[in-house]
Amino acid sequence: MKIIQNLMKVTALVAVATASFVMPSIAEDKLKIGFIYPSPAGDVGWSRELDNGRKQIEEKFGDKVETVVVENVPEGPDAARVMTQMASQGAGMLMIGSFGYMNDGLKLAAQQPDLKFIHASGYKLAPNLGNFQTRNYESAYAAGIAAGYVTKSNTLGIVAAYAIPEVVGIINTFTLGAQKSNPEINVKVVWLNSWFNPSKAQESAKSLVAQSADVIFSLYQDTPSVVSVAEELGVYVVNTSSDMKKYAPTKLLASLTIDWGPHFISQVQAVLDDNFEGTAYWGGMADGAVGIGSLSSDLSADQTAEVEKTMASIASGSFHPFNGPIMGQDGSEKVAAGATLDDGSILGINWLVKGVETNLPN
Amino acid sequence: MTATIIFLIAGMFAATVPLLFAALGELVVEKSGMLNLGIEGMMAVGAAAGFVTVALTGSHWLGLAAGAVAALSVSMVFATLSIFFLANQVATGLAVGVLGLGISAAIGKNYEGTTVPTMGKIDFGFLSDIPIIGPSFFNHDPIVYLAIIMAIVLWYILKHTKLGLVIRAVGESPESANALGYPVSRIRFLAVLFGGAMAGIGGAYLSTIYTSLWADGMVAGRGWIAVSLVVFGSWILPRVAIGAYLFGAISLLELSIQGLGFDIPSQILSASPYIITIIVLVVISRNRAYIQLNSPRSLGQTYKSSH
Repeated sequence: MKIIQNLMKVTALVAVATASFVMPSIAEDKLKIGFIYPSPAGDVGWSRELDNGRKQIEEKFGDKVETVVVENVPEGPDAARVMTQMASQGAGMLMIGSFGYMNDGLKLAAQQPDLKFIHASGYKLAPNLGNFQTRNYESAYAAGIAAGYVTKSNTLGIVAAYAIPEVVGIINTFTLGAQKSNPEINVKVVWLNSWFNPSKAQESAKSLVAQSADVIFSLYQDTPSVVSVAEELGVYVVNTSSDMKKYAPTKLLASLTIDWGPHFISQVQAVLDDNFEGTAYWGGMADGAVGIGSLSSDLSADQTAEVEKTMASIASGSFHPFNGPIMGQDGSEKVAAGATLDDGSILGINWLVKGVETNLPN
Repeated sequence: MTATIIFLIAGMFAATVPLLFAALGELVVEKSGMLNLGIEGMMAVGAAAGFVTVALTGSHWLGLAAGAVAALSVSMVFATLSIFFLANQVATGLAVGVLGLGISAAIGKNYEGTTVPTMGKIDFGFLSDIPIIGPSFFNHDPIVYLAIIMAIVLWYILKHTKLGLVIRAVGESPESANALGYPVSRIRFLAVLFGGAMAGIGGAYLSTIYTSLWADGMVAGRGWIAVSLVVFGSWILPRVAIGAYLFGAISLLELSIQGLGFDIPSQILSASPYIITIIVLVVISRNRAYIQLNSPRSLGQTYKSSH
């Protein structure tokens, strides 16, 4: 059903995109950049942040570039069609904004070596296709410290979509951060097993609060459903992707923010300078790609300073959230004292740290 | 623990409202012999129209009314095509459902990711203060009770009134009903509009009171669950209602169990509301003769009435 629905939307959107590409362009040497988003670029959320990156490109390069957006494109044949369409209408660069666009992007990249791609959150590369991700586990650690300070029940609740490594890593550092400021912390997780079901996300938050969680972490929920219900229930809330302060004016503890602008701009510059290489970008605090927004003023000055100090030490590289010793859920040592988990292990992480009560679905 | 029990009972009543409205509407539709598979799209239209109305006016009652009217208009397309132009009901229902999803996305386009305040709860005075019972049963918005009243009223109408008998007769044997002088097409038409309006109310409740935010696609399959509840409840209203509440309760229980840390894979838990509801409804409906007695004989068949 959803597929048919999206199909219809995409057909309409492709028509719009086509129309805008067909429009006679005045400056011939303008770089046309196509943007494809998996969801509507609403007020907040994943596609909104990608679109903010696009706006920064327009601001920076002005007349030298022309951007076109197609939003709400389902992964699969529809995405392939939109990409091909954009390519045939003269796009020189495509930003494909969802994991599942990867294989179609690679296929087109192989056919059209002159077309440059940047792909969100994939793991395969080509000379003309690079990918980008953020180290949200870094900002999750900082938010965890804040959560450890404000909780009275010592119970934190996380509403998460699927147990993929990226999500597991964020749960781990959030827990580790909270344990740093409050060793008694335990963490409950509800897996939605769905990328999109705002009502179920809200129910999950309520069920966690009923089990005495007093800080809720809305992990990769694209809508503010959990954030707004936390305000209603009077519990603190942490969220990902965008600053959602306006949905929980008194109860937002921190937002894990993403800024794609610097990376997007550097990639467009590379295309303009004709030295684009398909690289894997994993931006963290050091690159300004991730950060904390709207840290709650309920934290004391000392507590705020501690969060900021930690962020500064992560950004400078003097501290890493996955520094050992780290115990797994079962009590076994996962990272030895003095050691740090390497990037490859973080990307494939499939174990939870001690203090998380819920098991990983296998 | 008490908090979890309250969450489950109170949550069940609210979570079930969208399903119950949609399923009750679809039950009346199917009792008249029509099969409307576009419920999902009609709920989505109701949800979008209801949300925009509440965002603009601040009135939840107006929002529910707008949701009902908007979804009713979409169901009119289905009714006209399948009743007066004798189009295949399955194909038309699916097509109109898809149309509804598209219309819903268009209506809500400028409201993506925005919220509205939810509806206030009824104060039952001292009843609301009883431990556990109060917050579980006497701390809801008016629509929660309206849904229950609606179920009882519809049960009475279908079972004990002439109107109910006529609707059922039209669904059992349109030929006979027509021969007796009943305007079969008109009755079916009105039944479909009623079903559409009910789906719209369910959708509007979801977007303006239950979750009180707009996100395209937020109905997330509830329309399909409503259709299956009617079938698995073997077209008997109390069973459909029980099925709806059971589904609501288990979908919340699943979330609580995850938080309590039981070692059950969450994928199985996520599937449990569907599995358990189907098993329970199949078990209570295992008497085949009784099912045949209750299933509308002409369900899904087109019929051209002479008047």
